[in-house]
Amino acid sequence: MTDSFLSRRTLMRYGAYGAGAAALAGVASGWDRLTAADIPGRDDGSLVIATLGSAFNPEAQRALRDGFREVHPDIKIRINPVQAYDWSDFFSKILTQIAAGTAPDLVYVATEGVQLFARRLGVPLDEWAKRDAAELRAYFADVHPSLVESMMYEGSLYQLPVEFNAADMYLNNRVLERAGADLPDDDWTRDDFTALLRTMKRSNGARFTPYFWTNRLWGGVVPWLFANGTNLLAESKAPGGDWLWNSFYPEAERRGRGGGYRWTTPQADSDRVAEVYDYLASLIQEDLCTRPEGGDGRNLVGVFSTGRVGVTPAGGFWAGGLHQAGMKPTDYDVRYFPRRRTRRHQFGAAGYALLRTSKMRDEAWEFIKYTVRKDVMTQLFAANQTTPARRSMVDEARYQETGPAHWQVFYDTLDKIPTTGPIPAPPQVNEVEQLLIKHTGTALASPGAVRPALRRLQGDLEKAMEREV
Amino acid sequence: MTNTEIRPVRPEPTRTRKTRHTRKASESTTTTARTRGARLLAVLFLAPAVVGIVVFTVVPIVGSVVLSLFQWDVIEDPRWAGVANYRGVLTDSTVLVSFRNTLVFMVLAVALQLLIALMLAIAVNGRMPTWLRSVFRSAFFFPLVLSAASISVVMKYLFNQDFGPVNWLLGTVGIPSVPWLTSENGAMSAVVLAYVWQQFGFSFLLFVGGLNNIPKEVHEAASLDGASGVRKHLAITLPLLSPTLLVASVVGIINALQVFEQPYVLTAGGPGDSTRTVVMVIYETAFEQLRFGEASAVGVLLFVLIMAVTALQFRLSRRYVHYQ
Repeated sequence: MTDSFLSRRTLMRYGAYGAGAAALAGVASGWDRLTAADIPGRDDGSLVIATLGSAFNPEAQRALRDGFREVHPDIKIRINPVQAYDWSDFFSKILTQIAAGTAPDLVYVATEGVQLFARRLGVPLDEWAKRDAAELRAYFADVHPSLVESMMYEGSLYQLPVEFNAADMYLNNRVLERAGADLPDDDWTRDDFTALLRTMKRSNGARFTPYFWTNRLWGGVVPWLFANGTNLLAESKAPGGDWLWNSFYPEAERRGRGGGYRWTTPQADSDRVAEVYDYLASLIQEDLCTRPEGGDGRNLVGVFSTGRVGVTPAGGFWAGGLHQAGMKPTDYDVRYFPRRRTRRHQFGAAGYALLRTSKMRDEAWEFIKYTVRKDVMTQLFAANQTTPARRSMVDEARYQETGPAHWQVFYDTLDKIPTTGPIPAPPQVNEVEQLLIKHTGTALASPGAVRPALRRLQGDLEKAMEREV
Repeated sequence: MTNTEIRPVRPEPTRTRKTRHTRKASESTTTTARTRGARLLAVLFLAPAVVGIVVFTVVPIVGSVVLSLFQWDVIEDPRWAGVANYRGVLTDSTVLVSFRNTLVFMVLAVALQLLIALMLAIAVNGRMPTWLRSVFRSAFFFPLVLSAASISVVMKYLFNQDFGPVNWLLGTVGIPSVPWLTSENGAMSAVVLAYVWQQFGFSFLLFVGGLNNIPKEVHEAASLDGASGVRKHLAITLPLLSPTLLVASVVGIINALQVFEQPYVLTAGGPGDSTRTVVMVIYETAFEQLRFGEASAVGVLLFVLIMAVTALQFRLSRRYVHYQ
């Protein structure tokens, strides 16, 4: 019986424990949240720059760091290459760093994340760009306005484009030769494309797939939608941005420019979108193209360079990859994406975004300016792993060793096709891309599945776009 | 009578009583001190494990439950949401499909994993040279120590419909190419195969140990009674191995319910949602869509499911598991 009662001593002991715990909880709640930055040695006063690990090789990163130190010996910098599967994975890791309290000052952000970062995390560069306008004039004169506009959000500039990639069409010359076909014209159509695939299929073995594509936002269904005069989300332009256009671009190039793209109402169940999916479904039925497979197409270089694939959409980034895989400049070539209703192409660009959490904003701006210098970009992009944003860098000398013969296509996709625009990437981009990949897989998985899948895609996109980000 | 004789004798009992008391008190003090020392030692030995469990298990579990009641996007402060997150996820078709997929995956993967592991364990336990047995044991266990993500990348290439060696091999015997990763059934089969190939080594090792503990005499007696090989396994091996089967199935089910790497790398949850699992949904909701509260709510539901399934297994084990 007595055991069921607490003795005075026990009562006092538990009381002391309770008081201790309460005191600890009180102290803890009174303090600011401890973060990983509080670990001694973590915050050494460096300007921290997060890059997608695979964007630059280690030598290029070293050159970037050492070069900047020479120009600005007073600014300590630390480049933090984040290894990631794709841009979406990269952004997830950056957000994890922000949650841990170790946010970098600058993040290398592609079109996929421009608006997400601008809306939630970014600092507009307007004031600095206006202040250093004289210094930046040569840069803007060398960069297509569409690239700059893709880095604007609601009238403000958030990044200076460093690189871009438009979805053009790569063709394997050896496969063309086996098929007895010529390189298509500059102005080829979707029908010409289909006919070419059929010719390729006839002259190659059963283990050959004429057209390979990767199911993702960049280079998946979207270039076909653009060519058919439509988009996944209705596209418009935000007002504003005049300060930039008036300062840096001549009248002819200013026309129609605004304060950045807006992607709002989903239109996945429209007839034009359905027509594109029907077309892709017909290619699959005819065994002319691969089924939609998610991912980053890392197998693609291998199967293309060994002649098991004839055609695939890619940007300037592939020239370096194919060269590394042993393809000679004459083994492949590049053409515009085949037109349908329009010749509009899609692209993605990338540059450095300054985060609101940064306490070194002026130093960060100096780094941003440094990275868009021609000599720096030349050093960074020596391996043709991307298309430089500066027009003057896309020249014969650059592609002499790697090919392709028609390298002019890369920048002409912007210069000669003025309607070319960025992939649809609103602030809700992660969910939008996930839904696109998911429902594209369902739509093309079996015959007759296109329209029900697009209706579900439309419904899910509407929900995603309503969500506040 | 001598002086000695008349000398008063010291009251012995009193002295004795006093000594006993003193000894008792001293013994009691020593015992208490020893007990305290032993307790302190026990606490010291247990402390690292307890601290580890509290910091890495209890706190995250409690944290997840708390977070599931808030809306939090990492960037701004959490906002109280109450049970709204639970209402949201329980009416979200993607979440519901992911639970269905995970359960289907669990049934297929655990059944196949246990069956393969048991058959191979029985085979390896048969007559064969010791070195060969060691080779088999190591070979079957080896995939378990590899990275699931790396294996999945290789498997993705192997199962590629157009260029993969699996379809090439099938083609050599006239079987048309199978859309392993791009059809609903094919994708789930590929994920299960990739998972089982890597995981069965653990169950295999448990079964090898369990089989070695079964006395040979029991099998010999059954042989003398004329029992066939299959009969012996059904009537002797399985019942005597049931405690090991219980452990293997509990661990197998808990692991299978948390599957992530294989479907994430192989199929990215597709086509459609056909291979999207609960942990994938947690990852995507939290780290891709920045909805940490809802992701935590899904995590809590998965935790409850795992606890319920494990409790059910232990409940059933009272009936079906035989301890020698």
